[in-house]
Amino acid sequence: MQTKMRESDPILEVENLFASTENLPILKGVSLTVYPGEIHAIMGRNGCGKSTLSKIIAGHPSYNITNGDIKFSGENINSLEPEERAQSGIFLGFQYPIEIPGVSNLEFLRVSTNARRKFLNKEELDTFDFEELVKEKLELVKMDHAFLSRSVNQGFSGGEKKRNEILQMALLEPKIAILDETDSGLDIDALRIVASGIKKISNEQTGIILITHYQRLLDEIEPTYVHVMADGQIIKTGGSDLALELEKKGYEWTDNFVKET
Amino acid sequence: MEIIEKIKTNQLINNQTEIQKICLHKLQSSPIPNPKSELWRLSNKSKFSNFLNYSVNEKNSKFDIPYPENSQNSIRLIIGENCKIKFIKENYSIQQLSEDELNKYIKDQIACFDQNENWSDLLNLSLSSKKNFLGLKINGSKIPPIEIFSHASSNSLNAKTLVIILEKNCDIELLQVNLGKENSSLSQSTFFVLEENSSVNHGVVSYGKNKSNLINSLNVIQEKNSSYNLGSLHFKFNYARFEIRIKQSAGNAKTNIKGMQITKKDEQISTYTKIEFNGPNGFLDQINKSLADDKSHAIFEGSIIVPKIAQKTDASQLSRNLLLSNYAQIDTKPQLEIIADDVKCKHGATIAQLNEEELFYMRTRGITLLEASKLQLSSYFQEIISFIPVSKDKWDLLDKLLNEN
Repeated sequence: MQTKMRESDPILEVENLFASTENLPILKGVSLTVYPGEIHAIMGRNGCGKSTLSKIIAGHPSYNITNGDIKFSGENINSLEPEERAQSGIFLGFQYPIEIPGVSNLEFLRVSTNARRKFLNKEELDTFDFEELVKEKLELVKMDHAFLSRSVNQGFSGGEKKRNEILQMALLEPKIAILDETDSGLDIDALRIVASGIKKISNEQTGIILITHYQRLLDEIEPTYVHVMADGQIIKTGGSDLALELEKKGYEWTDNFVKET
Repeated sequence: MEIIEKIKTNQLINNQTEIQKICLHKLQSSPIPNPKSELWRLSNKSKFSNFLNYSVNEKNSKFDIPYPENSQNSIRLIIGENCKIKFIKENYSIQQLSEDELNKYIKDQIACFDQNENWSDLLNLSLSSKKNFLGLKINGSKIPPIEIFSHASSNSLNAKTLVIILEKNCDIELLQVNLGKENSSLSQSTFFVLEENSSVNHGVVSYGKNKSNLINSLNVIQEKNSSYNLGSLHFKFNYARFEIRIKQSAGNAKTNIKGMQITKKDEQISTYTKIEFNGPNGFLDQINKSLADDKSHAIFEGSIIVPKIAQKTDASQLSRNLLLSNYAQIDTKPQLEIIADDVKCKHGATIAQLNEEELFYMRTRGITLLEASKLQLSSYFQEIISFIPVSKDKWDLLDKLLNEN
């Protein structure tokens, strides 16, 4: 694999990370560095620790870091609360976006956006100004304005939920976005809409981690690096060719790799 | 319990009315409710004693209504303060029941009372003086919203009674507000008759202050083709009981109930409901929510009675509960008693804590844990609050609740 020359500092550094939940070790020494403008794909079997890694970076309270560090913009964030991480620019797109009955999507998006804006020392938006902003972002994911008046994700189809995640990403303008199986449950048209939204939002200043099982999302968004995870570790890193190789070979070899090591 | 002793020796009230005499006589045979009965077994004995420990007060002190001034679009009544009520307009009339009408109606009710089940009403009718007894007969259409207030004065036990007879084809929106002062007990009994084709959106909001107590009894009779919607909220009472008894006298009526009780500190608030279908094609949709925090205790006991005559009844009763503390307690018991064989009835209960995955989701969007909890609670409250006929610009109940929780 060819290592690129970087001019800027990394956005995210995961250093030899070990983590567990209810005394069950899940991550067993993960290291990963993301620089601005890079897209990292993490692939692997179900249960290999991909989603756990994303939740731990976002600060899920059910997981304990037993060793290692997570650094964001050079600062150790191991002890930061999830909302502090989000406000500073870490975004997690959920594999299964949560439904929150009774909380209007519009209000939820406005409160979230203002929390991030406050951190960035930007003026908080009132309902009217926010409506203007959100209208523009809705275009990116081809969502109807009517979604805003519904409860957060309630009654949304799988595709609508994923588009709502990307809408949130567009509004929060994160420095790093971790998208956990954003492609799952999407038909080909929805996948293209979501992928196009991600591409429009990402830029030279942002980093993206795509967690996926399949090549099809990577056909739409070309990754800078592809990592293969197994048994709580990254066992192989390569370029976009690695994803094609996985598509052909499957994941069985990763089991043997873990056994051998 | 000084009151009980006075009941036993018939020294409780001077110049007793006929109703008071009848009720006191009934109470003398069993002055306190049976503590082993389903209705009373979970009731906190020391809090119940505290309810009865204040001396009876027939006078009403001035109090601040938590509402802006009465608007022209609604009718405001305060039990104990409005002496004569008579609104006769082109489309509608609201008039006080005469003493004879009131006595006849109440006596008919008392004749059907079960000593234990209606203990709260017997106590109320024993204590409620003429001044604190409001009876209304309402008919017509395009009736403005009605607000009726009851309150207890500090360091006393006040009893207020409300009787409303809604005549045929009448449609009203009624908000009943029960307010507890510090160290007070309020006994409120309401008797509601919905004649044929009448319809009510009834809101009952009860909230107290430090160490205030409430026993709130609501008796509703629905004639056929009537529609009764009840939205209720009880909070901030040291001890409160809300007893709801609804009878669809000939079936073919609709009842919707959405109620909520919120307990904190060491408060105990309970809701008991008994819905009886006395004819076919009755409909009920009921949801009761409890939210218990700190070391408090919330209770819900609901029963739906479907006798053989009540074929094609469609009834649903759901109890949803949220425990916010490891020390809080929730007891819930929705029950069905079905004899009829062609009915659609369901019931259920859930007890949960704030959903951690929902909280995490909101926190990953930069919303603090406190704000996320508030948003979650607000969604929990909203379903009930939106059912209470109270104008948002007049009284933002949801804000009040969220700021206090």
